[in-house]
Amino acid sequence: MTWKEFLSDRLNRLLIQLICAAGAAFFLWTTGTQSGVLAILLLALLLVFCAVQLSDFLRQRARLQELEAILNGLDQKYLFAECVPPAGALYEQRLLDLTRRAGRAMTGAVSDAQASQRDYREYVERWVHEIKTPITAARLLCRELDGTTRRKLTRELSRIEEHVERALFYARAESLERDCVIRQTGLDQIAAQAVGNHRSLLIQSGVRVETEGLERSVYTDEKWAVFILGQLLQNAARYRGEEPVITISACSLGKQVRLTVADNGIGIPAHELSRVFDRGFTGSNGRSRSGQGLSASSTGMGLYLCKKLAAFLELELTIASREGEGTAVTLTFPTKENLTKL
Amino acid sequence: MSKIIIVEDDPGIREELALLLENEGYQVTAVTDFSDVPDQIQAAAPDLILLDLGLPGRDGMSVCAGVRKLSRTPVIFVTSRDSASDELRALSLGGDDYITKPYNIPVLLARIKAVLRRAGGPAEPDTLTAKGLTLHLARGTASAAGGTAELTRNELKILAYLMSCAGQIVSRADLIDALWDSQIYIDDNTLSVNMTRLRAKLEGIGLPGFIKTRRGMGYQL
Repeated sequence: MTWKEFLSDRLNRLLIQLICAAGAAFFLWTTGTQSGVLAILLLALLLVFCAVQLSDFLRQRARLQELEAILNGLDQKYLFAECVPPAGALYEQRLLDLTRRAGRAMTGAVSDAQASQRDYREYVERWVHEIKTPITAARLLCRELDGTTRRKLTRELSRIEEHVERALFYARAESLERDCVIRQTGLDQIAAQAVGNHRSLLIQSGVRVETEGLERSVYTDEKWAVFILGQLLQNAARYRGEEPVITISACSLGKQVRLTVADNGIGIPAHELSRVFDRGFTGSNGRSRSGQGLSASSTGMGLYLCKKLAAFLELELTIASREGEGTAVTLTFPTKENLTKL
Repeated sequence: MSKIIIVEDDPGIREELALLLENEGYQVTAVTDFSDVPDQIQAAAPDLILLDLGLPGRDGMSVCAGVRKLSRTPVIFVTSRDSASDELRALSLGGDDYITKPYNIPVLLARIKAVLRRAGGPAEPDTLTAKGLTLHLARGTASAAGGTAELTRNELKILAYLMSCAGQIVSRADLIDALWDSQIYIDDNTLSVNMTRLRAKLEGIGLPGFIKTRRGMGYQL
C-alpha cells in the first residue's frame, strides 16, 4: 500500500473533514474570532489531522505486511485465515471471521476431494494387484496349449498386462516419492527386464533387438527405468517399418550415461514431434495404426507418463525422428554419483 | 530331486504352478490350510519355499519371519505387490528372491534354479551330449569325432537348446522364444543366418546333416 492508494481510499473522509474545518473556521471568523487565533487553531487541527492519518497509514501498512508475510510462509495458502493473529479492530475481526468461515468450507471440500482421490488411487492399485493373479493363472494355463494358440494367447495376455501396468504407473505417478528407490543398477539388467516384459510383442512384430555398450551402471530407480524403456520398446515395435531393428545402446558423456533406443520404423512427422509428450496426444501414426491386428490402439499416455517419470528421476528425455527413417529416443541419466563400471 | 513347497492362496495358480514345477522335475507340495504355515513348512522340510505375500489371515512377511526362526531354507517371494518398500522389506526379512506377478515362466524357473544352486543344490551340467556331439558350454566349443569347432554365443545357445530337446521337433518360433530367454534378441532372418553358419561348422567336424529341417514344422536333431 502506498500513500497515494491510502489517500485516494480515504478521499471521501478527507473531503468531509476539510469541509467541516472550513465551516468551523468560517463560523468562528464571523463570530469575531481574531484571525491570528484562527490560524493557530487551524494549524493545530491540521497537525493533529496529519498525525492521525500518518499513524493510521503506518499501522495499516504494518498489518498488511504482516499478513503478506504469513501468507508467503504458508504451504497451503488456503489455510491463511486460520493462521492470522486476532486483529484489534472490530471491522477487520468480522471480516477475518467471514474469511475463516469461507476458508473452512473450502478446506473441507479440498480434503474431501483429496480423500476421494486417494481412495480412488488406492482402489486402482489394489485392483491392479488383484487382476495380476488371474493373469498369472491364465499364463500358467497357456502352457498346456499347442504352439500357435499359445503364442497368440500369450500375446493377448501381454497386451492386457501392458494396459494394466500403465494404469498402475499412472495411478502411482501422483505419489512418486513413496515408491522410488535410487540404487546402482546395470543398464544391461534394465534392458533385459524391459525386453523380457515385452518379448511377445517384439517377437511377433518380427523385431530384432541389438544391444551395445550396456555394461554400464547408473543410479536410478530400476522399476521406473524399466517401465520407461518398456514404453519406448512398445512404441518402436508398434510403429515399425520393414525388417525392424531396435538398437539399445549406451555411451558415457563425461560422468553422464546416455541410453539411446533407436528404431528404423515409420518415424514421426516433424510438425508432430514437439507434441508427442503431451497427454493424450496420439498423432497421425497412432490413429492410422490403431486398426491393425497386432498393434494396440494408441492411448497417448505412454510418452506422457515417460516424460513425467523422467522428470521425477531427473532423467533427460529427448526424441529425434525423421519420417520414414526411424526414431531415436535418448535418456540421459543424471551426473551426480554417477559411476562407470568397467 | 529338489523339493519345493508352494504357499499360495489362489487355487488356480497353486495347481498350475505345482503342475509346471512337477513337469520340470521338482517334487512339489502345496499348502492349502493357512493356519500354521511355518509348522507345515517345517514338517515338509523342503529345499525351497515359494511364498505369496497376500495370504488369508496372515501376511506372507510374517510367515517368512516365522520360517526364518526355524530354518535357513531359501524363500522366493512371489507376489503381485511390486512397490519398492514391499520388496525391500521382503528381502530384509530373509527372502532370497522376489518375483512379481504376472511372471514370465522361464524367468521364474531360472530364478528357482539360481536360488537352489546358491543353496548348494546340484550344479548345472557343463557339457551336453547328443548323437555323437559334445557341447562344452563353458568353453563355447562343440567337439565330435571329426574335430572341435568354436561357436559364437548365438550358435552355442541354438545348439544347446536343440540338444536339450534332442529327438523332438523344435519350431522356429519356439527356438526364437528360447533364444530371447538367453537375451539373444534375434529375428527370423538372423536365425536362418546363424543356422547356416552353425551347420557349416558342424559339417566341418564331420557331422553333416546333424540338424535336420522338418519342412513347415521346424528343426530336429
